[in-house]
Amino acid sequence: MLAQAQLLAETEGLAVAQMFNNAADLRRDLQLESAEIPDILEGLPRTNNAEVLLLPADGEPRSLSGLVINDIPTDLRALVVQGRAASKRSQTESGGQFAAGVRIAEINAEYYEILSLTDTEATLATLRRILIGASVTATILGAGLGYYFARRLLLPVTNAAQAAEAIAAGDFDTRLDEQSDPDLAKLTSSFNDMVEALRSRIQRDERFASDVSHELRSPLMTLAASVDVLEHRRAEMPEAAQRATDLLSKDLMRFQRLVEDLLEISRLDAGAVELDTDTFEVMEFLRRVVAQSTTPDVPVVTDEPGALVLRGDKRRLQQAIANLLDNARKYAGGSTQIFVERHADRLRICVIDDGPGVDPADRVRIFDRFSRAGSDAGRRDIAKGVGLGLSLVAEHARLHGGRIWVDGLTPTGSGARFVLELPGIEVDMTGELEELAL
Amino acid sequence: MGTHILTVEDDERIRQAVKLALEEEGWDVTEAGTGESAMDRFSQDPPDVVLIDINLPGMDGFEVCRQLRRDSDVPIIMVTARADTHDVVAGLEAGADDYMTKPFAPKELSARIRAMLRRSRNAEQGNMQRVKVGELEISPEEGLVTQGDDEVHLTKTEFKLLCELASQPGKVFSREVLLERVWGYDYFGDGRLVDVHIRRLRTKVEPDAASPRYVVTARGLGYKLQP
Repeated sequence: MLAQAQLLAETEGLAVAQMFNNAADLRRDLQLESAEIPDILEGLPRTNNAEVLLLPADGEPRSLSGLVINDIPTDLRALVVQGRAASKRSQTESGGQFAAGVRIAEINAEYYEILSLTDTEATLATLRRILIGASVTATILGAGLGYYFARRLLLPVTNAAQAAEAIAAGDFDTRLDEQSDPDLAKLTSSFNDMVEALRSRIQRDERFASDVSHELRSPLMTLAASVDVLEHRRAEMPEAAQRATDLLSKDLMRFQRLVEDLLEISRLDAGAVELDTDTFEVMEFLRRVVAQSTTPDVPVVTDEPGALVLRGDKRRLQQAIANLLDNARKYAGGSTQIFVERHADRLRICVIDDGPGVDPADRVRIFDRFSRAGSDAGRRDIAKGVGLGLSLVAEHARLHGGRIWVDGLTPTGSGARFVLELPGIEVDMTGELEELAL
Repeated sequence: MGTHILTVEDDERIRQAVKLALEEEGWDVTEAGTGESAMDRFSQDPPDVVLIDINLPGMDGFEVCRQLRRDSDVPIIMVTARADTHDVVAGLEAGADDYMTKPFAPKELSARIRAMLRRSRNAEQGNMQRVKVGELEISPEEGLVTQGDDEVHLTKTEFKLLCELASQPGKVFSREVLLERVWGYDYFGDGRLVDVHIRRLRTKVEPDAASPRYVVTARGLGYKLQP
């Protein structure tokens, strides 16, 4: 708009200047009285095909292009007649026009020039279209080029992001392709070096777990076999030796459990765990687990009609339930019951006790490794057990696509309910059960 | 003379302690510290059961197992450091009948040995009828399996497994049931024992082990002998 106004102002300024020049020429030429008016008018330089009208006070209006008095805006003429030079921009049917006039006193005439602004406006319109077109094209082209170059430039970054995701998911064979760009080449090679370092670090950790496993198991094997011999000969021992043998035997079991749990955890960390899954009936499974646990008399109860079927790794789920029962035995004098219920398409195995409960502040932390709930000493005996059992339950739950949490049985928080929630499966086994040999 | 067990273990202290404990349980025990000496001992004085540690210097436990299996169906128990590695499956595929994880309780090992010996005696007795399925004929009393005119040579465990399936052709046996009846395991036995033995059985009785005709998998349930 600014350009448009400026262009118009310039055109008008030029036209006014031309008009004054022409008026001056007319005054000089017409004072000679020898010249013919049409010739003089013809000879005037005109800007942008301006039309001219000479209006003598006592003669015929003279024009070259049929311009008549009525074409002159009346208010402009009023000013000119008073002897003032004036100009006016106006709008006519054929477009905008610019009229300028001056009274030439020496020859007693009014002189007008009218300049059509249609051309200027058309030029402006064309210019506007070109500008809009160009800017639209530039925008589209810019966006396109920007997208293209951004993609080209970001492609290595995108690849790196994908590679990082793959590596995070455990695929340590992922590498970035070599890049020709020196900056990218440096990034790529350090990325690949990092992956290689990470891979060897993880392999070292895995090997460490396996080495520790072997190193600890060998002495444990000797201990287990030797203690077995001592237990066989217990009756032949003096009383002090018998008690020492019992202590040795009990703590050997504890030591074995701890080593097993530690190795299980390190295997889980290494991501080296494969579930060995079976489909089985839950109530039967739980009764078997309880029977083999340290508290074999805990009742297993459900209100659900029909068979409750799970698909999972029986060894790991057994370990999980046994750990929950063990936890209840240590901290709450034993579980009072295991209650099983369906919740939507999931199965909840609740290990319930009527002990002191778990402080709400500890209910998440309790599943951390080696954490022992008991910021509040009144609730739990801090000195008992090593806190790997519950973290293993949490890991096993996660591996099975389930979860574990603990809540209280009463508003005051006494009694604890450990809920192991697992994805259940709906199976109609009636057909197959008939052909199953039992 | 009592039941004779050969234990192959390179760790001196473990070997001594296990020997003491097994003798305490009432078995006669011979020791070997390497795979090579185990082969010598085996040929000099064939034992009733072999206990092999997988991690042996030189000739490893798998190799000992494979060599023994070439001309013996002696019950073999593998001793592995970890239960969840491929060692277990590899050991079973090399021909072991069962496995134990270190550290095991000698009482548990004794129970496993007794189950195995029972198995190898039962296998020859049995009060089952002869079963014929296609070209496959199972004669429990003679302890004989034939495929057409050829005798199929099975280990005691493989034979017992096949007999169990043949006791009710067409019925599906869950892994649990097979573990209990063939291996004497309770509910929590390792199902891989069954899976690997079924695989081994198939390579011996099936014309094409990749698409079994006789020993068929009932998906998610177990295995059956297709009548």
